Amino acid sequence: MAQYRTQVRIIADVLSTARDLNTEGSGVGVTTLLRKGNMSYTRMSKLLSELVGSGLLLELNNEKVSKYMISEKGIQFLSAYQSFEDFAQSFGLRL
Amino acid sequence: MALQSGIALISDLLQFIGVFVSFSIAYVAFKGVKKTESSSLLRLATAFVFLGFGFLLEGAVGLGQLVPSLPLTATAVVVGGLLFETTGYFFLAFSHAVDVVLSKKTGVALLILPVITLTGTQLADVLSILSFYFVLYGVVETVYSYARTRKPDTLLIALGLSLIGVGTFFQWLLLLYLQVDVLSLLQIILKEMGLLILFTPVLRFAVGGVKVDGPV
Repeated sequence: MAQYRTQVRIIADVLSTARDLNTEGSGVGVTTLLRKGNMSYTRMSKLLSELVGSGLLLELNNEKVSKYMISEKGIQFLSAYQSFEDFAQSFGLRL
Repeated sequence: MALQSGIALISDLLQFIGVFVSFSIAYVAFKGVKKTESSSLLRLATAFVFLGFGFLLEGAVGLGQLVPSLPLTATAVVVGGLLFETTGYFFLAFSHAVDVVLSKKTGVALLILPVITLTGTQLADVLSILSFYFVLYGVVETVYSYARTRKPDTLLIALGLSLIGVGTFFQWLLLLYLQVDVLSLLQIILKEMGLLILFTPVLRFAVGGVKVDGPV
């Protein structure tokens, strides 16, 4: 059965991708985020603007291509999200 | 007589441990709601707020007996406490449910109709057995969740809920059939042990020390 993803879960997934796949330190492209995030380009663009606006992601403009990397605030958010997810899972719940 | 009052005093003191544990779990869950806007955590927090108030009222009955000047009518306060407790177990059980099948009107009618047709003692019996079924449902769902995630903490919570379930069943037996002091103490000890086990994720959370600036 397919599981419904909440908005916070989607944000956590995007941030995790931006953190884990930024191996060279030059950021992660939209195509990679789309592939891992499993959502439409329009929806992803809107979400990325929101995440950059709220300071969870940093936008890097290299050679006219936008790339994204997780900010310190984003790392803190992911850590808090993971703790609350563990807490909820202990009670047999999903966030 | 001294043994009876001693057991009653221990039971009342244990109720206040229940208050502390319940409100602590509710506090962490509410923090989670603020950060993640999770409806599951909101239901969990609501459950433990109700449970906390339930234990508080039941403990207050004991205090009322110790301090006769306190204007507490035992039956009304016990029923009130049980009502809070049952509502808490209801939210705890249905934290797992994603889809609520009943309509709001039917649900409210189902909750209110039995209440207005029963006397205080009958109501206490019904609330106790309802609590038992809600906890049982919570245990089943938590074990099912453990089968999916294989997370040891989840199994621990299932054990805690099972102890609360047995305690609630003993509470129902006490109200309906048996007036045994030892059973009274045993039911509250089982419930408190169960609650202390539920406290484990809170302790882990406190050790982790989560910090983040406001909601997203």
